[in-house]
Amino acid sequence: MCASCGFPAIPGHWTEAGAATPHDRLRERFRRMQILQSVLRGTGVSTHDGGLIPGIQVMSLSGAQAIVPDLDALWVEVEKLSGRPFDPLELPAS
Amino acid sequence: MTNATEGRLRLTILGGYLGSGKTTWLRHQLHQKQYGRVHVIVNEAAGIPVDDALLRAADELTVLAGQCVCCEGQESLRQTLLRLCDERSRISDPSQRLEGIVLETSGLADPAAIITLVQDHPILARQIVITEIIVIVDALNARNQLRQETLSRAQIEAADRLILTKTEAADTRKIAELSATLSVLAPGAAQSATIFGSAAALPDIQESTQLISLPQLDGAKAAPIRPAQLDLGDAPDWTGFTVWLSALLHARGDEIVRVKGVVRTTAGRLLVQTVRKSVQSPEILPEPEEPCDTDNSIAVFGRGFTQANLEASFRQFSS
Repeated sequence: MCASCGFPAIPGHWTEAGAATPHDRLRERFRRMQILQSVLRGTGVSTHDGGLIPGIQVMSLSGAQAIVPDLDALWVEVEKLSGRPFDPLELPAS
Repeated sequence: MTNATEGRLRLTILGGYLGSGKTTWLRHQLHQKQYGRVHVIVNEAAGIPVDDALLRAADELTVLAGQCVCCEGQESLRQTLLRLCDERSRISDPSQRLEGIVLETSGLADPAAIITLVQDHPILARQIVITEIIVIVDALNARNQLRQETLSRAQIEAADRLILTKTEAADTRKIAELSATLSVLAPGAAQSATIFGSAAALPDIQESTQLISLPQLDGAKAAPIRPAQLDLGDAPDWTGFTVWLSALLHARGDEIVRVKGVVRTTAGRLLVQTVRKSVQSPEILPEPEEPCDTDNSIAVFGRGFTQANLEASFRQFSS
């Protein structure tokens, strides 16, 4: 945990368990952004993670923004910003 | 996260409906020293504790009475777990340290709520790993409980291991029917039978064995739980898998009852386990001596989807 900002409050979110080295962790974060970009296409919500600050930035077309700590919080925010539920079993075919 | 289990306390959750025989079973296991140096936490929803008198064989025992720890009594469970972690961290000799905790829940508890409680706490998540959810099923009364109580079904759906008790007093045909019904409700859970804690035989399920008809209790739970298998391939994409699974549990957490499997990643073999919306922090498993062909294959139990559905959806996240 960072002593000044207290982030992250909980040791490694379960989705981050697949990378053991800092190198792998960074690569996973970038890969995660690629996937999110592709699945969120058409929802009006976009995400950004430059790898420098912790968390994922979420933005809507109208300019609303948020930073979320992990993927669980991300899906809550995506639904809030897009105003519709996000169901991976009912994505439009790409 | 270097090694998920190393140095952490192992927590076993023992659940089951009211009067199903949880304490009797646990007493026998403690008597036989199945769990090593353990601390037993007994939770009773009623105000008058009786179980502590039965569990004298435990080295250490805490009774939380008067509240159910999965709902209004969460704070007392949290404090007890924190105290145990704290006391353990003061002992420097690993051979004297506490090895595990067995939590006997009240008959009204939902195991999933307890997983969430541990995972969401910054200290407990670092100190405790949940190893098994054992649910005791009363062979005499389970039939009616399953028909009438959503809670009884929820407990069984969350189980890793189901133990049938009181089988000596029940009709063999009825036990077989119950056992068949349980494998529909919790297709991934191992079943066994015990009589007063000692192992007993479970009758075989015949072709003529009929399932217990379970009336619909609420809309979402109408369809039976079906198992599906998701193959992640030889080089699984952990990131794609987790983005997909987190979205799936967020959207369908009440329908995807259980997900379980081992995924090979650069960090090791990770055991992934979920109960409804709660995900346990993945445990790093040791490398097996012989290659294990069930690795990278994830079992998904739930309703409201088909195997093809699931595969197509996952592909959109992993391409």
